[in-house]
Amino acid sequence: MSSSLSNFIAADSEKCIGCKLCEIACSQAHSESTAFTVGALTSPILPRLYVVQTPEITVPVQCRHCEDAPCANCCPVSAISRKNGAIIVEKKLCVGCKTCMLACPFGAIELLPVYENGKPIMQPVLCEENESSVDEAPMLFAGKCDLCTDRAKGPACVEICPEKALSLIDPARMKRDRNIKAAMSFLNTSQNFS
Amino acid sequence: MTKVRELIKIDPELCTGCERCKDVCPVNAIFGKKGEPHRVESSRCVFCGQCVQTCSGYSSVLDEPETPRADKLRERGMFESTTEPLFAAYCAGDALEVAAALKTDKFSMVQCAPSVRVAIGEDFGMPAGSLTPGKMAAALRRIGFSRVYDTNFAADLTIMEEGHELLARISTDATLPMFTSCCPAWVRFMEQHYSDLLPHLSSCKSPQQMSGALFKTYGADIDGKAREEIYSVAVMPCTCKKYESARPEMSMDGYRDVDAVITTRELAYLIREAGIDFTSLPDEDFDRPLGTYTGAGNIFGVTGGVMEAALRTAYELVSGEPVPDTDLLFVRGGEGTRTAFITIEDKTFKVAVVAGLKYVAPLLEKVRAGEADVDFVEVMCCPSGCISGGGQPKVLLPTERDEVYMCRRKSIYSHDKDSKIRKSHENPDVQKAYADFLGEPLGHTSHKLLHTTYTKRDI
Repeated sequence: MSSSLSNFIAADSEKCIGCKLCEIACSQAHSESTAFTVGALTSPILPRLYVVQTPEITVPVQCRHCEDAPCANCCPVSAISRKNGAIIVEKKLCVGCKTCMLACPFGAIELLPVYENGKPIMQPVLCEENESSVDEAPMLFAGKCDLCTDRAKGPACVEICPEKALSLIDPARMKRDRNIKAAMSFLNTSQNFS
Repeated sequence: MTKVRELIKIDPELCTGCERCKDVCPVNAIFGKKGEPHRVESSRCVFCGQCVQTCSGYSSVLDEPETPRADKLRERGMFESTTEPLFAAYCAGDALEVAAALKTDKFSMVQCAPSVRVAIGEDFGMPAGSLTPGKMAAALRRIGFSRVYDTNFAADLTIMEEGHELLARISTDATLPMFTSCCPAWVRFMEQHYSDLLPHLSSCKSPQQMSGALFKTYGADIDGKAREEIYSVAVMPCTCKKYESARPEMSMDGYRDVDAVITTRELAYLIREAGIDFTSLPDEDFDRPLGTYTGAGNIFGVTGGVMEAALRTAYELVSGEPVPDTDLLFVRGGEGTRTAFITIEDKTFKVAVVAGLKYVAPLLEKVRAGEADVDFVEVMCCPSGCISGGGQPKVLLPTERDEVYMCRRKSIYSHDKDSKIRKSHENPDVQKAYADFLGEPLGHTSHKLLHTTYTKRDI
């Protein structure tokens, strides 16, 4: 059903200036802390979209919320599912196996450290040197764009972009709008022939 | 100064060339092609640090740059323990130097600008504009300063000197309009671009430098110390104050008025490094006499504040009557230029307030042409005055910046409103300083310690 296609965020590379504000806004939107100054940050900036800079193009890349999402399909612990029209990772279920990273064709998933109350959560792992002892390593989870579904003002990256390069795409509406434009264009063209 | 210190820098490894810094630079001192790392031309830069506040090119933990973080921290004058993300545009700091000096046997005296107390709490997770003068004084004492004084005292003193200077200029038909000289970025801009108009600048040193000059004379005498034993530190919302303190004019007999300047952000680094829990500190008083201040001294931190403080005192000096309403709302406002009239007895003074260096040129052109119908002008480089200075806690999202600045502004005015004494000339310790040490405003000692000269500077 085309009407149920997931939304996704897309950026216009012609407009993007590579300032990375979208990354900062994304990190802030997904942070439990109320810190609004750099000095008050108690965890690193951890975005779920990534500004890519190459000599040819500057543009942020993030999840496309695929209809047949490879990340959700391959997750061995069923931590990834569709909720409210977005592909969402259940942080508590994720074991950090990276299968979704491998599956994602866009590189839209990154293993991020879990922070609570300003501190990284550690987990016991077997120590390489000594099989009988355990070591501690930061707990990780698959971080990805969730379309800011919990945020009243919608996606933070779209709101912050100083160049208005980002927009929330509703594929069904986009298709209808383009159909209308094409029809109008056809009308104008056919008038030229009459 | 033979070589201008490269105070404001852009890290080429972190700069993405987005050019947002160029948009806020009031003097076009940032160069570089779009999409490529930019650089700051120090000889043009007025060191206001607005680019530092705006920059969003940061070092991600997911994509570490070539140079190790420890090296970057050292280069920026930051403690190794500092965990905050690093941004491309930054101000080379002095916190390490101050921390080292506090371990020596120097007798250290510190002063804090009015805008620091309405913002430092933000870097410890407190709400925007939290007013924390008491916690700040307590923190400075625990860090190890021997005397915790205040720039606000010298702000009151500045009003005494500047107010008398203005009235003297008016009564002798000397150079008018007179421009304030508290903002070092503005002074540097004048020296670079309008050196022919330098006689219009008040000869007063800024409150920072007046404080420093008094620390090493009057303050040293009070504690029975020699000038060379004093280590004088200023905590400022401003990055350009570092430049101002290093100017050769800002010293006497080879001793600098202010030995080191740290920004609000750098004070937060020092507090963290010392393991102090800022939010749970008790409220403590500033030391007297150089820490006593009025509400008028405190409003120096916002645009229009110097003007309002000056008019509260000038009104009384001219008319002998207290100003009818202490709150002079007509000089308050935001970014841009505003003008107002005030009638004192039968004389009408026309004043102008400029917030944001990019707005000052039209007025200066009028002054140059002899067409400026104004007596007294306050200019501040930063958009909302010192509360929005380059050394203040950096607000992560530009969409929140106006709201945060508004909270800081409200806090400055409420601190004034709640002060028992709200006019500079009523500051009892300023009166005492004149009686015991300075003599009278514009007198011999004042002239020597509290006034300065300006020089044409090439770009």
